[in-house]
Amino acid sequence: MTSKYETEPKGYTMTTVMQEAARCLLCEDAPCSKACPAHTNPAKFIRSVRFRNVKGAAETIRENNALGAICARVCPTERYCESACTRAKIDGPIDIGGIQRYVTDMERKENMQILHAGKENGMNVAIIGSGPAGLQAAATLRQKGYGVDIYEKNAKAGGYLTYGIPEYRLPEAIVDYEVQRIVNLGANIKYNVAVGKDITMDDLKAKYDAVIVAIGASAAKTIPMFEHNICTESAISFLARAKENKGKLDDLPDNVLVIGGGDVAMDVVTTLKKLGVTHVTDMVYEEFSEFKASKKELEGAQKEGVTIVDGYVPTDVRQNKVTFKHRKIDSEMTITADKIILAIGQKVDADGLDIDIQHNEIPFRKARFHTKDPKVFATGDIVDGDKTVVYAVQKGKEVAEEIDCVLGGQDND
Amino acid sequence: MIKKDLSIDFLGVHFENPFCLSSSPVGNCYEMCKNAYDAGWGGIVYKTLSPDHFVIDEVSPRFSQLTKEDTPFVAFKNMEQLAEHPMAQDLADMRRLKKEYPDKVLIASIMGETPQDWTDLAKLVTEAGADMIELNFSCPQMTSHTMGSDVGTNPELCKTNCEAVKKGTNLPVLAKMTPNITTMIPVVKACLEGGADGVSSINTVKSITDIDLDNKVALPSINGKSAVSGLSGKAVKPIALRFLQQIRSAAGLEQLPVSGIGGIETWEDAAEFILLGASTLQVTTAIMQYGYRIIDDLTNGLMHYMDEQGVDHLKDLVGIANKNILPTNQLDRDYKVYPKIDWDKCIGCGRCFISCQDGAHQAMDWDDDKRLPTFDKSKCVGCQLCALVCPVGAIKLGLVEMKPGRKGDPAKVDASTFQLPNAEN
Repeated sequence: MTSKYETEPKGYTMTTVMQEAARCLLCEDAPCSKACPAHTNPAKFIRSVRFRNVKGAAETIRENNALGAICARVCPTERYCESACTRAKIDGPIDIGGIQRYVTDMERKENMQILHAGKENGMNVAIIGSGPAGLQAAATLRQKGYGVDIYEKNAKAGGYLTYGIPEYRLPEAIVDYEVQRIVNLGANIKYNVAVGKDITMDDLKAKYDAVIVAIGASAAKTIPMFEHNICTESAISFLARAKENKGKLDDLPDNVLVIGGGDVAMDVVTTLKKLGVTHVTDMVYEEFSEFKASKKELEGAQKEGVTIVDGYVPTDVRQNKVTFKHRKIDSEMTITADKIILAIGQKVDADGLDIDIQHNEIPFRKARFHTKDPKVFATGDIVDGDKTVVYAVQKGKEVAEEIDCVLGGQDND
Repeated sequence: MIKKDLSIDFLGVHFENPFCLSSSPVGNCYEMCKNAYDAGWGGIVYKTLSPDHFVIDEVSPRFSQLTKEDTPFVAFKNMEQLAEHPMAQDLADMRRLKKEYPDKVLIASIMGETPQDWTDLAKLVTEAGADMIELNFSCPQMTSHTMGSDVGTNPELCKTNCEAVKKGTNLPVLAKMTPNITTMIPVVKACLEGGADGVSSINTVKSITDIDLDNKVALPSINGKSAVSGLSGKAVKPIALRFLQQIRSAAGLEQLPVSGIGGIETWEDAAEFILLGASTLQVTTAIMQYGYRIIDDLTNGLMHYMDEQGVDHLKDLVGIANKNILPTNQLDRDYKVYPKIDWDKCIGCGRCFISCQDGAHQAMDWDDDKRLPTFDKSKCVGCQLCALVCPVGAIKLGLVEMKPGRKGDPAKVDASTFQLPNAEN
């Protein structure tokens, strides 16, 4: 039997997707399309669905976004396309993510091959990291005829998609499929190779016409008082273990305390609940009105029965006992848990790459995506902007365009 | 719950309400008819009886449907023919129904091949206790040219068959018309000359609903082939209303008793048929989709309509809209009505702009910054397409203006409509 952790919510059927597409007002100069960070055109693909051209809808999505099936599942649509939806003025926004999922699921079932590699132009690019930004950059470059090698320090591609986002939100099979499409375009992924350790940056610079650093923010942030605390684990470590083991973790206690209020924290608490942990308490710095997590993720966690307490900061920790104080009111509470998970953000680990990271980003340069080295480019979460998958995808496209500009590839316009 | 008298007398027969099952798969045996009576239907046209020598041999599957977006059964195509039971069994069922439900109306539908068949069938169903006989001159899926809709396009044959029926019965007789004809008038008149007392209109429209794009065969596919056959359901209602109006406005036929058929699904559909001259109504497709229970809302809705209209007797509504349908050359062409946009309601979707640009006269333009339509009266022809496409009913009929050089008082123009904004809210 598939566990709750592995169960993705049901998607639309042809009938129900048509109901949703028929709600779309098919606006003039649709605001949803303008509001997509990756410049996907929901207005166009929903219209295609409405006129029963699902294959055309898949083309619209895929030609713009090599990770369209992933974004359909994990994109915080309420913040982007759906926030602009005109239908919201009548009742509620169109479920754009849901329609995109239907279309990309159909694309997969039909085994459509929409993207094609461009004519080889003789130039080669190395990409460090196979997260969403790196994968999208690879797809765009391959379409322009560049040779692409992706260096991945882990055993699987996908970065946070594979190691961070829980199975019920993003099945590993979907990530694998999207990666395979990019491999089918001719991108070559070298697994278990850490640049800076197994191969040097200088080697890459010598071997390739350009190098893209797309390493994301893969290291967990911590709070000094929790360092060396044996009861504490980082969110990214916990989520990675859960994903790798398909939710079969044998060290799950009855009572877990989570600290943090972003989407990652919501993934942690929801995962804990889906894995059967009885008491999940989430202590959050922000108050609900200023919450960072998307409404959908917050509601999901609350539906699972997570206790979420807002407005508290940890002030003391002794073994498995954490004391919190409210930020504004006179209130203190101490929680004893069998396990503490810190979900307070990530930082960049750029050891050995010889790039200048400040505040977890490369310093902003006028020609975006450039590092101090003219041959080395950066993309993804280490470039300024939102740290979401959809932004990573857009930055992946843009860095590829920038490199094409610099190297003067055939498709350079 | 509202109570209004929905009863009506039609061809001398009293109906407790005007709603009947049409002769079709929905009234094909004792149990089905019993259930329909119990559910509240006023009458039943029992599925067409034919002589035993005419063998009914149905195909399978036998239906297909036209859809729109997520709406199934926008129209429905069926290839089913007549009642397939031995006639004796159908006659026994009818006898039992009449005995158990003496106050409900039982109409026998018959179809013969020869005049003698028609006479014999009329006799048999009269003896079985039918209150009325309907002559099926119109089934479009018969396998013989001497039966079905090919008969219904031939006034001579219809007249002969009516005469033959009258030899076998004293019951009132309805001739069921086919819409697969340019004008029904000569056929209707021939039927009346032959002794028919009224007509039922319409039977199904010859059609092909859809083609299987892979196998290149129309649906339903019967071992890889298909055939033209009858379309019914909501989509044929406009065609049915047109024939009804045309019959009832023909000279000498203004009072013709008509049983209205064709896409009746809601009380509003029913009221439309009544207003154009139908006294009783027949339903099949909506029952095939939703069951006999739709009678609750057909009757209750119609009662509320009667109440709103201050009408105590259904007959007072019959045909009162016919006078308002004129030949196109007699319509008032002296004025136009401009749209009036309710800016508080407008949500800035731009559908009016798109439709006006691509489908009308470019009177609407678009303000990119404000995301709102703009309106240029000088280009507007008053077609009101914009009002039809507005999803929130923000566009209504506005200023009425006489065309240059025309006389008249705009204040006296009645351009009101309750139907125009389809998303009134």
